[in-house]
Amino acid sequence: MNPAAKAPIVSITNVTKDYNLGKVVVPALRGVDLQVHPGEFISIAGPSGSGKTTLLNLIGCVDTATTGVVSVAGQDTKQLSERQLTNLRLHTIGFIFQSFNLVSVLTVFQNVEFPLLLQRKLDKAQRRERVMQLLEQVGLAGHAKHRPNELSGGQRQRVAVARALVTRPQLVLADEPTANLDSVTGQHIIDLMKELNQKEGTTFIFSTHDAKVMNHANAVWRLADGKILDRLSASEAQRAMAVGGH
Amino acid sequence: MGGHFRLLMQVAFRNLFTSKINLLIGGIIFFGTLLVVVGGALLDSMDSAMSRSIIGSVAGHIQVYSDDSKDELGLFGNMGGEPDLAAVDDFSRIKPVLEKHPNVKTVVPMGTNGALITSGNTVDLTLARLRDLYKKRAEGGETPGLRENIDSLKSHVRQMVALMEEDLVRSQALLSESARTPEEKESLVRARSEAFWNTFEQDPFDSLEFLENRIAPQIPDGDMLYLRYAGTDLDAFQRTFDRMEVVDGQPVPAGQRGMLLSKFFYEEYLKLKTARRLDLIKQERDVNKKTIATDPQLERWVKENQTQTRELLFQLDPIKTRLAVERLQKVLGTQEPKLEKLLSTFLATDDANFDTRYAQFYSELAPLLELYRLRLGDSLTITAFTRSGYVQSVNVKVYGTYQFKGLEKSALAGALNLMDLMSFRDLYGYLSADKKAEIADLQKQSGVQAVARENAEDALFGEDSGNSLVAEATPGVIDEKDAFTGALDSLRRDDLAKRIYSQDEIEQGVVLSAAVMLKDPEQLPRTMAELQQSAKDAGLKLRVVSWQQAAGIIGQFVLMAKLVLYFAVFIIFVVALVIINNAMMMATLQRVREVGTMRAIGAQRSFVLGMVLVETLLLGFVFGAGGALVGSGIMAALGSAGIPAGNEALYFFFSGPRLYPSLSAGNLIAAFVIVLVVSSISTLYPAFLATRVSPLKAMQTDE
Repeated sequence: MNPAAKAPIVSITNVTKDYNLGKVVVPALRGVDLQVHPGEFISIAGPSGSGKTTLLNLIGCVDTATTGVVSVAGQDTKQLSERQLTNLRLHTIGFIFQSFNLVSVLTVFQNVEFPLLLQRKLDKAQRRERVMQLLEQVGLAGHAKHRPNELSGGQRQRVAVARALVTRPQLVLADEPTANLDSVTGQHIIDLMKELNQKEGTTFIFSTHDAKVMNHANAVWRLADGKILDRLSASEAQRAMAVGGH
Repeated sequence: MGGHFRLLMQVAFRNLFTSKINLLIGGIIFFGTLLVVVGGALLDSMDSAMSRSIIGSVAGHIQVYSDDSKDELGLFGNMGGEPDLAAVDDFSRIKPVLEKHPNVKTVVPMGTNGALITSGNTVDLTLARLRDLYKKRAEGGETPGLRENIDSLKSHVRQMVALMEEDLVRSQALLSESARTPEEKESLVRARSEAFWNTFEQDPFDSLEFLENRIAPQIPDGDMLYLRYAGTDLDAFQRTFDRMEVVDGQPVPAGQRGMLLSKFFYEEYLKLKTARRLDLIKQERDVNKKTIATDPQLERWVKENQTQTRELLFQLDPIKTRLAVERLQKVLGTQEPKLEKLLSTFLATDDANFDTRYAQFYSELAPLLELYRLRLGDSLTITAFTRSGYVQSVNVKVYGTYQFKGLEKSALAGALNLMDLMSFRDLYGYLSADKKAEIADLQKQSGVQAVARENAEDALFGEDSGNSLVAEATPGVIDEKDAFTGALDSLRRDDLAKRIYSQDEIEQGVVLSAAVMLKDPEQLPRTMAELQQSAKDAGLKLRVVSWQQAAGIIGQFVLMAKLVLYFAVFIIFVVALVIINNAMMMATLQRVREVGTMRAIGAQRSFVLGMVLVETLLLGFVFGAGGALVGSGIMAALGSAGIPAGNEALYFFFSGPRLYPSLSAGNLIAAFVIVLVVSSISTLYPAFLATRVSPLKAMQTDE
């Protein structure tokens, strides 16, 4: 497998992002260049405030860059309307959130089905098949009728993983997916993501500051003060962390 | 696709019972719907009950009156008395125009007015009866029966004079100087003297005149009563207003002059006051569960009955007085010889003995008494100011009493007495344009022909000239002496009372308004417009008004009540709108994260908008339906039990002693629509805010 051979799914060129906090303008990203290719399993690492979340938001089309070009699945996000951006998120991107963000009043099944209903592509039987398939993959087929508040944190995040992947997105973004989980459970989630990455070929980009989690990535982009420090392989990154570059 | 909507419904339905704020909003919607359903249904029921009262009693669906009128028509009277209406010269001209309309069932001529009547005091009434007997004797000679009646009445009058003297002695004891003038005292002494009564028969009419002029005025128990009456075609009236029923007596014979008094008026103003008070006490005790011991009003009535016994005493001649004394002694178990004391003791009722005394009054005393100051079949003298300003008196025979079914106790409906149109026109004294011209013409000529007229009358009647001018007088009560001797007048009076008028005579003449009953009341506004048009086309200057307008201040009163209620409902819903709006704002803020997540994973703004709206609508449906259901239950319960009209003034508005409200589909639909519209409107802004929630909110962590 040579991901670099294909056209990049995410291409970021000279992007800056400033947050306007009243009188003060806080630069969150100060010129970032980055490319992610289909099938990659990428980690973005860096300390708090380094711009990880901002970068993920730009890739996830929920926020726009101040300058520079963010291109997702070949489309320049600046050129898209709010509606088109929403559609891009719906059809191309899956999201996994740090706090799981399940809809509390819906069952596990309904939560996973939600994006499919928004897509309006599949009929009821097809949706059911697809949702159950995903729930089996994340090991929660027996919990389809449970409510999120009846599940543990790890189980909830697995539901979130299933929801992110149910539409067969080209790209899944996960912002600190293990931050609210204990290390063993977090490990399981990363394993699950990795497994899906390998089986389905889905591209994953996740942010973390946990060295053990980075381990599984094909590559680790290290971020500091709104700039990319370097692009390391997993082993390089681990070494770098061990030296003290946390 | 269906799945999309199903998702909205799922989210909405699940949210419905999990959010406390939703329960608050639901509660408001529940009570809002309940209020609109119950309030609306009550109001509508009252409205239709009142419309039944008004339409079914005098108004009909539509009233038509002259467009030249200064005031608006007010069938139940306006503020400050009778409205000033221009007369419709000839009913027979407007009737065919109105009846031509296919939706018109009947047209009834009408005119309402008011007059003062004197109910007459007991001495007067007795003297009048005595005079009648002497008249009969003068005409037909004396019979033993007649003699007996005359003697009985004579001794009755003597009894009354004796009582008056007793009063005089008593008042003298109380006051150092008598309230009565020396002449009055002198008259009383003369009336008490044996000499007066021994010579009574020598010139009975002279003696009667003395009593009438000198004695009767000393009794202050004669009342001036205000009598409201509607002159109408009585047959047509009874056919048209099917709620009207004759209670006592008989209907006025077709085509004849006569009156039907309202039962309410008859009881309230013409019944013996003692009996009326007993009736009222009984009613308050039985219906309203009041007691004499606790209610000051009842206590007052009892006290008045104890002290105001003279009304009874005056009614009793010596024979009846003796009977009354015997009966009361038996009932009370005493040997007290004085009737006044006996009555006072007998009428000192309390809660324990009231029912027995009430029954005893009607079984023992009532047969000895005239319970009403006017007997059915007697004539009533009505004196009214005519349009031309002079006073006109008319004698009308009272054939019976009537009431409107369901409105028996309504003072408002009961204030109206019915009279034939002929008597009404006499009292109204309206002169048509032709007649006015004729009179003016006559007046012009009269100066020249004064002597000729005198001569002509003498020639005509061959009587001495003493009453020749009286012949010009109005029909009705005039000086009895003249009437007695004046052949013309007595002829005219009999003629008037017995004469049968043709339908044409009844209809060709002045009326003040016409009631129009419709075949299909639903068509009222259209029919009104069309009648107005056809009146115009026929060259008639008429005003066409609905029953509501015709009811005058009463119709407006209900409109006001409705406005107040609608305004209250409006305020309540404005408050509800603000509360729901705030609650939804809070709910939206609470769910920013959830909405952000939905937006992030691909939900469009329209989806979020739909979600909030569907949720509110569902909330409205569920709690609104609950409110409507409970409201329907309440209305069903009220509908079968009825709401009692605690106050008699309410009888008119309830169209009877109880209002049986009903719930129409319209009430439910209106409530539902109002609730859904209000909740949707109050959700628009929160919903808009929800659509503005950025997907970025999903990314925020829990800190």
